[in-house]
Amino acid sequence: MSGYNLIWVFIAVVIASAAGYVLTPKGDNQTVIRTIIIMTLACCYMSWAITYLAQLHPLIVPKKTGMRPHLE
Amino acid sequence: MAPSTLFRSEEMSLIQLYIPAEVAQPCVAELGELGKVQFRDLNPEVNAFQRAFVSEIRRLDEMERLCRFFNTQIEKAEIPSRSLTTAAYGSRARSAQEIDDLEEKLKEHEGRIVQMNGSYETLQRRNLQLTELRHVLRETGGFFEQAESRQDTIRNSMDEGDASTPLLEHDVEQQNHDEMGRLNLGYVTGVISRARMQTFERVLWRSLRGNLYMNSAEIDEPITDPDSDEVVDKNVFAIFAHGREIINKIKKISQSLGATLYTVDDSPDKRRDAYLEVTSRIEDLNNVLSNTSQTRRAELQKIAENLSSWTTVVRKEKAIYHTMNLFNYDVNRKCLIAEGWCATNDISIIQHALKNATEASGTNLPSILTELTTKKKPPTYHRTNKFTEGFQAVIDAYGIARYREVNPGLFTIISFPYLFAIMFGDIGHGFLMFLFALYLVLYEKKLAKVDNDIFSMFFSGRYMVLLMGLFSMYVGFVYNDMFSLSLDFFKSGFDWPIEYNSTDTVEATSNGHVYAFGFDPSWHGSENFLLFSNSYKMKQAIIIGVIHMLFGICLQVYNHVNFKNKMFIWLEFLPQILFMSSIFGYLVFCILYKWSVDWWALDDNGNHIHNAPPNLLNMLIYMFLSPGNINPEEQLYPGQGPVQMMLLFIALICVPWMWFAKPYYLKKQHSKHHYETVAADDEVAYDEEQNGRAGGSNEAEEDDEGEEEFEFSEVMIHQTIHTIEFCLNCISNTASYLRLWALSLAHAQLSSVLWDMTFKIWFGFSGVVGVVGLVIGFAMWFSLTIFILLGMEGLSAFLHTLRLHWVEFDGKFYMADGVKFEPFAFKTVLEAKSE
Repeated sequence: MSGYNLIWVFIAVVIASAAGYVLTPKGDNQTVIRTIIIMTLACCYMSWAITYLAQLHPLIVPKKTGMRPHLE
Repeated sequence: MAPSTLFRSEEMSLIQLYIPAEVAQPCVAELGELGKVQFRDLNPEVNAFQRAFVSEIRRLDEMERLCRFFNTQIEKAEIPSRSLTTAAYGSRARSAQEIDDLEEKLKEHEGRIVQMNGSYETLQRRNLQLTELRHVLRETGGFFEQAESRQDTIRNSMDEGDASTPLLEHDVEQQNHDEMGRLNLGYVTGVISRARMQTFERVLWRSLRGNLYMNSAEIDEPITDPDSDEVVDKNVFAIFAHGREIINKIKKISQSLGATLYTVDDSPDKRRDAYLEVTSRIEDLNNVLSNTSQTRRAELQKIAENLSSWTTVVRKEKAIYHTMNLFNYDVNRKCLIAEGWCATNDISIIQHALKNATEASGTNLPSILTELTTKKKPPTYHRTNKFTEGFQAVIDAYGIARYREVNPGLFTIISFPYLFAIMFGDIGHGFLMFLFALYLVLYEKKLAKVDNDIFSMFFSGRYMVLLMGLFSMYVGFVYNDMFSLSLDFFKSGFDWPIEYNSTDTVEATSNGHVYAFGFDPSWHGSENFLLFSNSYKMKQAIIIGVIHMLFGICLQVYNHVNFKNKMFIWLEFLPQILFMSSIFGYLVFCILYKWSVDWWALDDNGNHIHNAPPNLLNMLIYMFLSPGNINPEEQLYPGQGPVQMMLLFIALICVPWMWFAKPYYLKKQHSKHHYETVAADDEVAYDEEQNGRAGGSNEAEEDDEGEEEFEFSEVMIHQTIHTIEFCLNCISNTASYLRLWALSLAHAQLSSVLWDMTFKIWFGFSGVVGVVGLVIGFAMWFSLTIFILLGMEGLSAFLHTLRLHWVEFDGKFYMADGVKFEPFAFKTVLEAKSE
């Protein structure tokens, strides 16, 4: 698990968007479908990437109280 | 011919139609069915009553009135009528002959119905009268006997002149006399409502000074008063008095109090005969009444079958004639000239429709369609289907796009559900929302007919809600929040210690892994969870906001290119983008950079490589307050000082660039253009003198073309406002995106509190208490989830997303000063009238 995952996934998303752009059938709705595919991929990647990046090098760690003692 | 996409509005052309008068009606009907042409009013100065087809419209108005009359009659008789929608779009417009036939038929039906109504009412009234008469006959029998037994008393009392003996009915002294000597008694019999009885007696007593003998009895069944149509209780009364004057007085008084008088014979035999006769007449009358109502019902049912299609036909015809009133009627050549807007891509369809209409009517006269060139501003037409029209409606509510400018509706399809999901992200709630929208979508044909206003609002946005649900589920996975619980699919990035007491505060340690998708579940239930998630969500909100706004600014480029203002890209777009990027783009870069650095990393000797992680907000503030000075203990990256100085400098020069460049450029353009037109004007004036101003009337129509007035001061003020607005909006709009964080926090907290307080508390119980408690707890939890979290939070997040789109995104590029394309279509006419 490293930061480079972000880059690999980014490349995958770019390829998927390009494929979506090229492979959309011509017709009335071509613009709409292309826009939907590319924007969805972009938005989903952005959400995931921000979350992943934020947790890459955590500045604080979780603290809990009142947990049940471990049973081994 | 530009291709038809949702990215811009359609290309429109102004078309002119020459329609011969004979085929005018079928042609317009065909165009109405098609619904692709918006006609212009070619007779704007003509009064509504002076237009060409006023008489036809009046005729159709009359027919519509008849249809409405039938409708009320049918509703009163409670006959189920066939709904309007099924028949509405099927019936085509009719020829003139059929309209005449329909008019005749309607008038005929009306005559019959009115007649039947009238006779029914008369019969009903008669029936009531006879019923009352029957009651009178029945009761008065008793009165007469009592009256005859009282003759002596009356004679005695009249002889004595003693007026104090009460002659009222109920407490009757039982003095039965055998003598049946007849007194010359006059009597008045009738019926009066029970409520008036007391008043009646009192008035009579007072006015006649007791010289009367009155008897009354109640009628058991309530009778429908024929005049007022109410059901009242009535009494039969019989008044015996002596003397013509007194009788007349009694009659007048009873009539003034609303009693109905009936004459009754004084011999009992005749009364019995009359009673039998009246009974038989009542029976006959009832038969006739039921027959009449049967026939009327049958007639109304026959009408009801066709009424919806007749109404549709009449409304369509009226719409056709109203439209034809807009045309220019050329009397000499017997043809109508129509002008209208239509999409350029639709012209062939329209021509085809016109040809069909001409062929259907059987004549050989073709209609001609020509395109006109004009400088008028065309209306805006976005070609949408059932999926995109919900999103387009949301954008149109803010303002209709200018002709051929970039349509934000296209991007709203995804950005709206996405921003909603950022504020709403929860797998469970998103799934419920998705299910609701799925139901609406799968049953859309059936649900389209529901009439409720609020429901139809949700229904028209069903695809939007569907996407919102889907995106909410995805963002819910990212936030790792399902009804406020976390899912645990992947290896966590934190390890918890094993040895601890239950009172200790336990700290996890980071193990170098990153949770593969979304929030680490180790954070769930920690005390400092909010510390981490608030920081994360705020930064995410800023990143998304800045990207959204930069995207909006970039869309300006397309507009500038399309409206042939390429220079504006350098004058307006570039300074805006540079200003935004150098401050807030830099902030986003810093956020991403700070996240990607391992601040606690140790080098080989165990010393920290980096300094303590700096606070980004302070960094941004000091970038402005003391540019270039960076404390090495708090730097984000080496070389930060000069970089920030340069960015500040870029932002600073962008301000005067935005402010002065465009007005200066426009001024230069105008003076160049001015010199050219002055030269051209001279030539034009010369030509006009020569030709005697022929064709001058065309100029009057082109009222909104022509020289655009150029006031430098106005342009300058406009640009100043624009610049100040942009610069201040940069900050305020960026901060405004923080609502993405705020609502998401509120949603998560509400969800968690609801779970803890209504459901989780029952887990500790066992046995019957536990079971009952769980059932109650679940009911509460589920209903509050639906109403508060889905209903209230959903609407709230929807509203905030709407605001972000309308103000923050559209404010960067959207002009929104267009006119909507409203074609002449029967569908809109029928829908409008049926409300």
